[in-house]
Amino acid sequence: MSNEYSHSVILREDRCIGCTSCLKVCPTEAIRVRDGKAKIISDRCIDCGECIRICPNHAKSAITDDLNMMKKFKYNIAIPSLTIYGQFPSNISISQILTSIKRIGFDEVVEDTIGADISIFLIKEYLLKKSGMEFPLINSSCPAIIRLIQIRFPDLIPNIITIETPVEITARIAKTEVAKRKGIDIKDIGVFFITPCTARVTSIRNPLGITESYVNGAISIKDIYGEIVRNLGDNNNLIKGISTRESILWPIAGGQASALGIENYLAVDGIHDVIKVLEEVELGKLEDIDFIECSACTGGCVGGPLVIQNSFIAKNRLMKHAKKVDISKYTKEDLDRFIKMYEDGFIRLTEKIEPKSVMRLDKDLSKSIHKMELVTEILKNLPGLDCGICGSPTCRAFAEDIVKGENKKAVCMIKTMNGFKSKNL
Amino acid sequence: MGNISYNFPIEKDDFERAGEASSKIKKILRQLGMDSSIIRRVAIGAYEAEMNLVIHSLGGTIGITIDPESIIITAEDTGPGIENVQLAMKEGYSTAPDRIREMGFGAGMGLPNMKKCSDSFDIESIVGKGTKIVMKMMLKDGD
Repeated sequence: MSNEYSHSVILREDRCIGCTSCLKVCPTEAIRVRDGKAKIISDRCIDCGECIRICPNHAKSAITDDLNMMKKFKYNIAIPSLTIYGQFPSNISISQILTSIKRIGFDEVVEDTIGADISIFLIKEYLLKKSGMEFPLINSSCPAIIRLIQIRFPDLIPNIITIETPVEITARIAKTEVAKRKGIDIKDIGVFFITPCTARVTSIRNPLGITESYVNGAISIKDIYGEIVRNLGDNNNLIKGISTRESILWPIAGGQASALGIENYLAVDGIHDVIKVLEEVELGKLEDIDFIECSACTGGCVGGPLVIQNSFIAKNRLMKHAKKVDISKYTKEDLDRFIKMYEDGFIRLTEKIEPKSVMRLDKDLSKSIHKMELVTEILKNLPGLDCGICGSPTCRAFAEDIVKGENKKAVCMIKTMNGFKSKNL
Repeated sequence: MGNISYNFPIEKDDFERAGEASSKIKKILRQLGMDSSIIRRVAIGAYEAEMNLVIHSLGGTIGITIDPESIIITAEDTGPGIENVQLAMKEGYSTAPDRIREMGFGAGMGLPNMKKCSDSFDIESIVGKGTKIVMKMMLKDGD
């Protein structure tokens, strides 16, 4: 199934030694080891980056864009992820970081604060109060979670808040504003997100809920970090930051939920814990909760796979920065303007998010049932250790792969070894 | 016509594993490619039945049989049985002791919820012997 769905997460075969570390952590069982190398099942991968984090050989990597892409545009805007402020020692100010990013060669640096604040404000003052919402509302800001819901929790698609993510909101506002102010065709303006997140990279190329992203490229924090460091130092003509306390806390797990000023919420981080909570939601057990903030990465976006700094340290630094700035202030007129932007579809997810049934055994139910019988039969003969040596993450996945015809050379090492042992006796 | 069945033993007071059987059932249905709305109904029915076995019974089994037309969930236990089935079917009626209610269970919605999510619902109970519940969900109905 190659529908030009391009992932950010990739395997560097030369580095892969065929160990089973990544098999086990993949939340959608999207990895198999075949012929000594890991393979990613494209349809199942949600680009969460769990495999990148765990791989001891750095064989799992992410494709992001590079700075050369700026040449394609007449005017280039950088939107640094809010996590970036936590990547430098605390004595380096937000203004210094922003200025340094601009010096790399961008015409302008726009803070993601704009989108984060609008998102918080709209959810708080409008969407939580709007009629016809499916509770608990689930944040739309974590792209890995949206893809997880598509695959594993399709029932919960209606609970996803239909608001664009902060970076998309920021990009839309910045691009439109620059086009007007500078008189440049919107096509000639490039917007680059400096990202901690692999799933975001994928969502820029293959957006969900919108037809096209206003972000043109995504540059990994890891890749651009050196350039930023080299451009620090000169403290003349610093950009004046517009950060608000809420937006600086946004990338920390729970930051989004607490900014809403409500008590009845859950903030869940780490994809495996998110799965546990979404299972409860699916059973209808959490309908009395207003809002669930889910983030695939432990610690929130600061724990993203493409950051430099340990998430605990980054969190400490963000909190220090947050203390130095004011809380966000908006008027009734601002709210009306944001609501209009939302209702007009400018910052709303206007396209339906479709369920993806990649877990099913067969399109035809009778055949599916038959295959399930075979899986159950094969499972009875397997040791149930889920060791992964066969290259499938669990004994069950091993059986499924055989039944689906995806693993013709399937061998269970444990069974083979036991076979030898019994012969020797 | 091909069908497939699974049985999950449920132990009394085993709150640690409570919910596992319904979770497994849900996964199976998803793999079979069932519609979300039917999966949700089955999951809720199975979960309520499972919790009932954990809270009220002396232990039992949850069974599921799936064929291309319907799904049948059976919950069977070995006692103590329900004295007044009619009363137990009433929303809000519960015999759960305080320690269970304190945990957020025993709201008296178990049996009514099971009935609500099934196309046909049967309950048979003999005091001193046990209870058997059969829930049937049709697959072709409107989904």
